[in-house]
Amino acid sequence: MCKTLKTLTITILLSACFIISAAAKEELVTINDLVENALSYDRQTVTVEGEAIGEALERGEYSWVNISDGTNAIGIWMKKEDADSLEYFGDYKHIGDTIQVTGVFSRDCSEHGGDVDIHCSSLKIVKSGHSVSNTVSSTKIIIAAILSFFAVLLAYFYRAKTKKRKNVN
Amino acid sequence: MNNLKTRSPGVYIVSYYTGYIIIGTAFLMTVPLLTSLIMGEWNPALDFLISMSISLLTGLTLMTFGRSTHTDSSQVDWRYGFIIAALSWIMLMFLCSVPYLLSGHTNSVLDGCFDVMSGFTTTGLVLTQDLDHLSTGLNMWRHILTFIGGQGMVVLALSFLVKNTNGAYKIYCGEGKDIKLVPNVKGTARIIWKISLVYLLVGTLALWICGMFIGLSPLSAFFHGLNMFESAWSTGGFAPNTQNIMYYHSFAYENITIVFFVLGSLNFGLHYAIWQGKKKEIIKNIEVQSFFVTSFLACAFAVIKLSQLGVYTDAVSSFRRVAYNVLSAHTTTGFGSVYARQFANEWGDFGILIMVIVMMIGGSACSTAGGFKGLRVGIVFKGIVADIKKVLSPERSVRVAKYHHIKDYVLDDPTVKAASLIIVCYMVLFAITTLLGTFYGYSLADSAFEAASVSGNVGLSIGVTSATMPALMKIQYILAMYLGRLEFISVFALFGFVIGGIKKLCARH
Repeated sequence: MCKTLKTLTITILLSACFIISAAAKEELVTINDLVENALSYDRQTVTVEGEAIGEALERGEYSWVNISDGTNAIGIWMKKEDADSLEYFGDYKHIGDTIQVTGVFSRDCSEHGGDVDIHCSSLKIVKSGHSVSNTVSSTKIIIAAILSFFAVLLAYFYRAKTKKRKNVN
Repeated sequence: MNNLKTRSPGVYIVSYYTGYIIIGTAFLMTVPLLTSLIMGEWNPALDFLISMSISLLTGLTLMTFGRSTHTDSSQVDWRYGFIIAALSWIMLMFLCSVPYLLSGHTNSVLDGCFDVMSGFTTTGLVLTQDLDHLSTGLNMWRHILTFIGGQGMVVLALSFLVKNTNGAYKIYCGEGKDIKLVPNVKGTARIIWKISLVYLLVGTLALWICGMFIGLSPLSAFFHGLNMFESAWSTGGFAPNTQNIMYYHSFAYENITIVFFVLGSLNFGLHYAIWQGKKKEIIKNIEVQSFFVTSFLACAFAVIKLSQLGVYTDAVSSFRRVAYNVLSAHTTTGFGSVYARQFANEWGDFGILIMVIVMMIGGSACSTAGGFKGLRVGIVFKGIVADIKKVLSPERSVRVAKYHHIKDYVLDDPTVKAASLIIVCYMVLFAITTLLGTFYGYSLADSAFEAASVSGNVGLSIGVTSATMPALMKIQYILAMYLGRLEFISVFALFGFVIGGIKKLCARH
């Protein structure tokens, strides 16, 4: 009896988790979807997930944080303290924090001169960013050295020949 | 060998000068190389070292091959001038794409070549992937290409490398620039560079300061300022991030770019005249008149229509989203303050048509802009008016039509014919490119928008240009950008030269 009850409880819990995560996933919209269906999403509350890129652009008590989800990029208007909670922003040397943002999407934001943006109401860091180690390949170093050597050599010979020709003339 | 040299000296002349221009561009790679080293980006630094060496080897080989001709530059006739300019652009397209390919941010050689041609021709369409994670060095390279492309690689090579300038004017004209600011072509090339470098200092400083005010860190604001200025002045349209000008979310930043891309789209002759104190030239010049009339009408019509459709309802958003994009299109810059698909989904057929028209007209002749140019529109318009007047006036009266472009010119039939011919060439190119787009299943509006953008070297996209588009379309777009930039004649001369050479070879065997 106890075993059956345990199995039943676990099954219910797992099902609940599955339903909740499915519902959460259902709400996620890609940025390209937002742009493509901007008229229907206009002034609606949406949830997007993407990597914070570049840097936070501080504007008084608020900041702009641009995020990219691989399909496109969009500006998120959020409180400065929310922006400050982000540690990494994506660039050549970093992978930015992946954040999930819920907020009101505007196709023609009246507060920001017709910007296509999302005014953030809640922010969650889904995955922390990190520095990227760009290791230099030894093959690349060797190729660069060989090619540079030959370029200098050819330049030297060209110069020598041109000088010789000038002297003859 | 000597027999061959006397029989076909053209091959050696073309080889020598093409090599010269390639070496000039190879030296340019020191700028992104140093940037990479300063920023501690070791992989990109090696990429540039490799690319520079390959370019130097290619350039020196070509110069060695054609060395015998360099002492006598008077041999460079018009034909060779055009061929040298056209061939240099093709060779540089391949050589300058090496850093892109080594960076791993392009999917294929074709995509790399597409982006380089887009930069050189100041178009601004992008196939490079993941722009937001590009190294500072590669971003610097992308924007240098567009900056140099705006002024012209040939202009650069002539300014700093060529000692003998007898044949240089012909090569210079081959790049679509035919204005002589001073009698000496080297002097003209140097003036073009002086004008651009002064604006470079002023523009970078303005955008740097503005960048810091809008929240960028000082170092980042500097690189953004430099890159965005280079792009705006050369009417290029590249930006360091995926969102283009939308990345900054700033009205002030947008306004500064407007100032510089409008200035960049004006004739270098006009800049020089104003620098010399001839301020009235701004009002009298036919190109300025043409530009202000067409841009005002286009902005007004687009704003009214989009306001009627309810797309943008208030004045600020109408200016930032409509007028900005129309001006960006008219000057052939290509900075976009709306997403590509917003043109298709929200602007409607009228809005798209307005954009197509202004993209085709473009900026001024002998500027950094593309399109068939305001000067030609003005000449053809005045030509039509003159013809109507001629028909309406008595047979015995003789009327002489004139137009003002730096100085007064008589509007004769050959001038009108030459201007019309180039416009017809652009229209044919636009039609073929549109046709290809519709062949691959894109809508007529989308195909026409993108065709106007590539033919006019604009860079705005409606969403057609992507890494996944058919390879043949990428090739056609490269060709359209190339033909549009060099204004046809040089490319036709190169084709004729190659076909002539093949015929000669066939006849010998």
